[in-house]
Amino acid sequence: MAGHDSGSQHQFTGFQKYFNSYTITGRRNYVIATYTGVAMLILYFKLRPKKKTPAVADK
Amino acid sequence: MNLSFFDQFTSPCLLGIPLILISMLFPALLLPSPNNRWITNRLSTLQLWLFHLITKQLMIPLNKNGHKWALLLTSLMTLLLTINLLGLLPYTFTPTTQLSMNMALAFPLWLATLLTGLRNQPSIALGHLLPEGTPTPLIPALIMIETTSLLIRPLALGVRLTANLTAGHLLIQLISTATTALLPIMPTISLLTALILFLLTILEVAVAMIQAYVFVLLLSLYLQENI
Repeated sequence: MAGHDSGSQHQFTGFQKYFNSYTITGRRNYVIATYTGVAMLILYFKLRPKKKTPAVADK
Repeated sequence: MNLSFFDQFTSPCLLGIPLILISMLFPALLLPSPNNRWITNRLSTLQLWLFHLITKQLMIPLNKNGHKWALLLTSLMTLLLTINLLGLLPYTFTPTTQLSMNMALAFPLWLATLLTGLRNQPSIALGHLLPEGTPTPLIPALIMIETTSLLIRPLALGVRLTANLTAGHLLIQLISTATTALLPIMPTISLLTALILFLLTILEVAVAMIQAYVFVLLLSLYLQENI
């Protein structure tokens, strides 16, 4: 009932205006946000400084 | 020279010259070329009727922009149909059993539909990656799933055609080998196997036509989403 129209009659405000799984622009924004999030994750894991373990000294 | 069961799928070569191009172009020789007579002969009329039927069925769901694809899709359908059907004759080579050829057809055409969508209507093309009305917690997972299904489309298109035709040809060869091997030993069983071979051949004719149709239909569906 509340969500089965295309959303063109309603005026969304706030978060729902940009991220909305019923309007085409809302869906597009969700997709772009997800891709950006995944890209950020990959970049973070690639660029984070690697921890160097100290060499074990011979006894 | 002893042949294994997979030798029918080796790309033909004569004195070091690959014959794959000839085997791909040969079916075109069997189709009558149009002439400038007002009323043509039976074969040409039949061919024209078939092409009109194929083009009409493919173009009905497409908008005016999609009609630019009419020549490409109809000729692709005719190529696949003739290659698949000719491959059912004994001792012929079927180019569509080669994954390289099917991927070479599927990948560029799928990419063309994708790039057309991204160029002409980028918001709608990206928006299609999330089904309407998805509950919020499922959204990231569903976007990744839809992206994966989008990227796997060319692979599925190519492998579907290759696998169906290769499997069919292999089955025919195996069952016909069984029929001839059983003939001196158990003639009744050989007759049963021959009956199975007959039914299988009818099935393979149907599969040859259906696979050509499915390939082109799926491409037109991907086009509908993006044009």
